[in-house]
Amino acid sequence: MNDKRRVVITGMGALSALGATTRELWDGLLADRSGVRRVPRLVESGITVTTGGEVEAVSTNNVDRDYEIANRAIEDALAESKRDASECGFIWSTGLDTFQMGANGFVHRSAGLCFSNLSSRFNGPRRMVAAACASGTQAIGEAFRLIQNGRVEACVAGGSSVMLTPFYLIGFAGLQAVAVDNGDDPSLACRPFDKRRKGFALADGAGAVVLETLAGARQRGAAIFAEVIGFGMSQDAFDLNRPCDDGAGAELCMRRALEDAAINSEQIDAVNAHATATYSGDLAEATAIRNVFANRWKEVPVSGSKGAIGHAMAAAGVLEAIVAAQTCASGIVPPTVNLRNVDDGCELDHVIGEPRDVNAETVLSVSFGMGGQNAAIVLKRGHEKAQK
Amino acid sequence: MYVIASAQRKDLLRIREESPELWRQVRRYNQPVQLALAAAEDVIRFSRDPSQAAVISLAPCQPGSADLYRWGNVVTDGMATGTLGNLRMNPTQTLHAVDNLAMSAFAIAHANRSYCLGLGGAAGQAWCGLEAVTERADEEVLLMAGDQDAAEDGAPGLGVAVLFSNRARSYQPLGRVVRLLSITRNTNRAFKVQPHAANGLAALSAAIVECSGNHMTYVVPPEHTDGFSGVTIDLEIS
Repeated sequence: MNDKRRVVITGMGALSALGATTRELWDGLLADRSGVRRVPRLVESGITVTTGGEVEAVSTNNVDRDYEIANRAIEDALAESKRDASECGFIWSTGLDTFQMGANGFVHRSAGLCFSNLSSRFNGPRRMVAAACASGTQAIGEAFRLIQNGRVEACVAGGSSVMLTPFYLIGFAGLQAVAVDNGDDPSLACRPFDKRRKGFALADGAGAVVLETLAGARQRGAAIFAEVIGFGMSQDAFDLNRPCDDGAGAELCMRRALEDAAINSEQIDAVNAHATATYSGDLAEATAIRNVFANRWKEVPVSGSKGAIGHAMAAAGVLEAIVAAQTCASGIVPPTVNLRNVDDGCELDHVIGEPRDVNAETVLSVSFGMGGQNAAIVLKRGHEKAQK
Repeated sequence: MYVIASAQRKDLLRIREESPELWRQVRRYNQPVQLALAAAEDVIRFSRDPSQAAVISLAPCQPGSADLYRWGNVVTDGMATGTLGNLRMNPTQTLHAVDNLAMSAFAIAHANRSYCLGLGGAAGQAWCGLEAVTERADEEVLLMAGDQDAAEDGAPGLGVAVLFSNRARSYQPLGRVVRLLSITRNTNRAFKVQPHAANGLAALSAAIVECSGNHMTYVVPPEHTDGFSGVTIDLEIS
């Protein structure tokens, strides 16, 4: 007998380049709109990368910006769930370091201290996930597992990052991972899977979800956005800065998530892709998705969010999971913003230009970290399950 | 889970002189990563299959590393002098800032594509890592950590690694079987902490070696906790 408990999402909060709410995130994606723009303070600094996804809801002059962005997402998720932090565990990623621009230069903000401050009102477990770009997705997966196994009744999971500083922009330019400004429309900086892609746009952001048992959610009469039914992790074991060409590590984590969910790829209705718009990353991901879905790959809609909101690192996976949960709830797959001409090798059933209503109920959401950590979760429409 | 082996590394010079092949593999990283990887190599030789072990890695609590901190100053100077556009950052430093590099480097060295969990950066995460060890169904789990006392050149560093197995085998330094029974927490106690990824695990390992009885209850010193909960670890030694 399988005594594992079912886990559902009952609250969500998102701050991204598209706005300070989950609604603005979703509406922006459905409108095929990008929130990435040229950032004046970056232009003034003289660096070559001047576009990014900025969160405007919290001032860049706020020295506690890293904490504030995270806390707003957490508060929104808790309020929507009608849960109190003291009832929840806290599985969160703040990245490893945050370097903010202050009036007199850099202000180093310890990501660990930010995590400690955020976690103080939660009753545990309190885990700080550090898995680069896969952190947000892994945080959800780890919270899912803790609830499923009876360690805790509810968790807030997610991540937050403040990335739009010269420190990171110079650094990621050195890794040839970000789109360098060449005078184009800044909103077109990040073009996942497109022939003209040239890297991602870095972004600030935060995303939080409240996870709890289905039984607890039913008892409280909570709204259920989606059920988490599977989680998988893997490592590339290949290179610190690029994925294996055949996407083997990415494929493995997707297969593990499907196995954990006890479903096969035929039961997946849509994929929320990592879709960074890096040359090798998109090729590897497309290969991995085609391998997982085998002869069905032309029938499974694929969508990525980074063309619209940029790459918010520790927050990326959870922001994308929030989009995936909204797909589960609505059946609608949003378009991959800025994708117009699919590159050779990136062929998938891409959603381009406008949203597609396919009554998607089960969505695979994936994140692949720089360094080779890969995470995947499977979300399923919640309300049908809740009504059974 | 059974504790199979543990190791500590403090001395980079010794790694460089005594283990040139290992040094060649780790030289590009910062001190916390180098020491964590060196300790991991010490214990992984007791693994039945290093490619299959689950890997839990604790990132440093100190502000990145001395190198990273120095880079912050370089960029700050660039801002002040208007020369930011000319700066080219060492890519490895960027990776240090965003990735749990010890975990990635270990995976590459051992072709390990298994479950992985990167934790860290905050005080007390070592015990979350230990709890995660007990939650795994894998035959073997590697827990490793690296950190340094301060974000300055020359600051003392420490790498720790502990290998666990779900099959009873002797714990190498002790010659006895050490089984991790439970990790319990009492909540809502405020402590003054000393954030460090590796110190707590090193102290636990030392306490196990000192134990002469058949049962050990290890109360984690307050400075090694997250500041919000006390931690008690029970082990059976036979």
